[in-house]
Amino acid sequence: MPEIVNIKDLQKSFGKFQALSGMEFTVNAGEVVGFIGPNGAGKSTTIRILLGIIKRDAGTAEIFGKDVWKDSLEIHKRISYVPGDVTLWGNLTGGEIIDLFLKLHGRGDKQKRDYLIKRFELDPKKKAKGYSKGNRQKVGLIAALAAESDLYIFDEPTSGLDPLMEAIFQEEVEKLKQSGKSILLSSHILSEVERLADRVVIIRQGEIVESGSLDELRHLTRSTVTLTTEGDVAEMANVNGVYDFEQKHNQATFSADHKHLNDILREASRLGVKKFESVPPTLEDLFMRHYEG
Amino acid sequence: MEEKFARWNTLFLLYLKRDWKKIMVWVLGLGLFSAAYVPAFQEITKGQGLIGMYETLQNPAMVAMVGPTPVETAGEYTLGAMYSHEMLLFCGLFAMVISVLHVVSHTRKEEDLGLIEIVRSFQIGRQANSLATMLEVVFINVVLALFISSVMMSFGADTISVEGSFLFGASIGMAGIIGAGIALVMSQIMPASSGATGSALGITGLLYIIRAGTDVSNVDLSMMNPMGWTYLTYPFTENNWIPLIFAVIFSLIMMAVAFVLEGARDMGAGYLPEREGREKARRSLLSVRGLLIKINKGVMISWLITFIVMGAAYGSIYGDMQTFVESSEMVRQMFSDTGASLEESFTGTIMVVMIGLVSILPIVLVNKLFGEESRSRLSQLYATRVTRSRFYWTTIGLAIISGLGGILLAAGSLGGTAIATMGDKSTMGVMDFLAAGFNFSPAVLFFTGMAALALGWAPKLGKVVYIYLAYSFLINYFGGIIDLPEWFSKTAIQSWIPRLPLEDFDTVIFVMITVISISLMVIGFLGYKRRDLIEGA
Ligand SMILES: Nc1ncnc2c1ncn2[C@@H]1O[C@H](COP(=O)(O)OP(=O)(O)O)[C@@H](O)[C@H]1O
Ligand SMILES: [Mg+2]
Repeated sequence: MPEIVNIKDLQKSFGKFQALSGMEFTVNAGEVVGFIGPNGAGKSTTIRILLGIIKRDAGTAEIFGKDVWKDSLEIHKRISYVPGDVTLWGNLTGGEIIDLFLKLHGRGDKQKRDYLIKRFELDPKKKAKGYSKGNRQKVGLIAALAAESDLYIFDEPTSGLDPLMEAIFQEEVEKLKQSGKSILLSSHILSEVERLADRVVIIRQGEIVESGSLDELRHLTRSTVTLTTEGDVAEMANVNGVYDFEQKHNQATFSADHKHLNDILREASRLGVKKFESVPPTLEDLFMRHYEG
Repeated sequence: MEEKFARWNTLFLLYLKRDWKKIMVWVLGLGLFSAAYVPAFQEITKGQGLIGMYETLQNPAMVAMVGPTPVETAGEYTLGAMYSHEMLLFCGLFAMVISVLHVVSHTRKEEDLGLIEIVRSFQIGRQANSLATMLEVVFINVVLALFISSVMMSFGADTISVEGSFLFGASIGMAGIIGAGIALVMSQIMPASSGATGSALGITGLLYIIRAGTDVSNVDLSMMNPMGWTYLTYPFTENNWIPLIFAVIFSLIMMAVAFVLEGARDMGAGYLPEREGREKARRSLLSVRGLLIKINKGVMISWLITFIVMGAAYGSIYGDMQTFVESSEMVRQMFSDTGASLEESFTGTIMVVMIGLVSILPIVLVNKLFGEESRSRLSQLYATRVTRSRFYWTTIGLAIISGLGGILLAAGSLGGTAIATMGDKSTMGVMDFLAAGFNFSPAVLFFTGMAALALGWAPKLGKVVYIYLAYSFLINYFGGIIDLPEWFSKTAIQSWIPRLPLEDFDTVIFVMITVISISLMVIGFLGYKRRDLIEGA
């Protein structure tokens, strides 16, 4: 059973508003699939359909080869889910809520729970109304990660986490990946997905824009480079893979195509690099690039 | 001092501007409700109407609900006397409740939401918000009082005097201000806004119930009750302004206490301590039932206690009833005519009132499941092997048990207290009281069923069930005072059920309403099973 998640021609509208029009992708066994798109693109809607929280209008949606609406219970025994905005009961403690989730999931691992609580530095005795956004998110993450599942679904899981905790989350996901679990990771942070995902599905306005392995999509990404050189920086303008070149004194700012990174660096070091900064492309850049053709 | 309240006036104007629509609805709605029934009452009182009304309202059950009148003979019972007798307490109670909700939502609730934090970062005093809100409520209630007075005078009815009209309006406005004072104090003491609203409304309810007891036993005791300072002004008869002076002093004290408490606490904190919680969940929490009980525990316990207190308060009236009736030749006449014993007729009337309140709890519980859904608190749980059917039926089961438990407690405590205060004079046993209560269980189930139907098919309409409950409560409430057409009173579900022990138990009706209610729950389930869950709505 190589296909863990299988979505074909998925449609969903809310009243007149068409949220999904022909969504289509798969997650294979042991694969981490990054699911990215700007806010409102339909990531959460797709995930809610997969979880049987809302019902699709048309199309196929299967997990483990079973229909996500009709056989949701069978499916739910083997999945874990973290929403992007974990909301909790204010009068229960984090520890109590994690225990409840694990019990209702059915395959919770007590030791992993305690380990993760330490790892994420959560105070499990505190009532949830005293938690910050990041701490609430940790409760959801610990509950999902401490449960033994075959498919993990994360919907923008790191919103509100500080970078340190984000890194811990990524390490934990990597461990899952090594033990052969399948993961669907929705995000609008490209770097997070780049680090973890084998394949990426990019959507916008309820439709697939691009999908494929990261390498296949590499050509889409361009970083913004700021460069100061000893020699005349204007010479950089004609190097292959340099776009949108702008110059101020001997400091240049341009977009660099990753395919030609080597050429660009070679040329820069010939001029004598005094300062080099590279900012990875934002998702918006990526879409701009995509629509420019 | 200055600094604490700095720029309250800016906030005050801002609030008036922000709330003006709400204020309009408040003043017009409550104002017309309080004042505009004068023509309708003129209609009722034609011919022998006034005398009939006077007699009806001598029934202690009626006194417990609407309050007493100082009038001693039917001949002196004028339109004005009757209007203030029947309307004033009830309208005052409304004014209090609305003011409580307004004050908490503008103070503690905004604090919980973090809005006050933003406001305080401007050049605004630490307590300016509370002062501005309080003055806004006072302003609204003054406008309301003037509006009520002028509407009443505009009808030009004979016995609706100018002084009486002003006093009537002022009493209602004052009731609102008393409620606001209580709410502001509770907003300081409680750790969160829900607790503040709950406790302030609880106190209001308690004051109402206590006065029901003291009105029947000894009206002088009602004068010690803040709620008494509103309707005991007796507009159009005694025109006594003195209680309002007590009310003003009381409100000023409440505000002073609130400001001192507020000044001494941290933002977002209360005076009731927050305890540290458990690191691991108890086994009893680890199921859908455990979770639902846990998150509803507070609301369930407070309502169940309310039912017991309410039953005991009404029950304590039974002992005084005999004396009350014997004090008036005419009332004695009335009861010996109908053949029913006084206790029986009182029980029949009071039970309808209590059932109306008991029905609130199951509706709250059913609506709570949608509340949880729309706040997305359940989304991670929906992704486990828990079925929707489990969530739904556990909720419905909890609601039904609470409803039946509520009847048991309310009727049991009514009966227990009644029998205790009457001693060996009692003609009714505890079982008679329980039978009178459980006789109404189909009505409680029906409200539960309506809420369940809404949960399944149109969850946003869940609140409408409260409106229907309030409506049928009013129909029953006023049905005891005014004769309503049969079809009209039958729009309230309780009216279908005969009132034990006065009337005979009706098996067919009992079974029919029960079956209809259960069908509503099943139909609701069909919807709940297939609809999209709504998150973040
Ligand atoms: N229950 C709903 N009712 C109406 N519109 C909705 C609902 N849920 C989502 N939408 C709309 O569908 C679109 C996709 O939303 P969502 O899937 O949450 O986006 P994303 O998770 O990618 O940010 C948005 O425009 C959103 O406003
Ligand atoms: Mg989303």
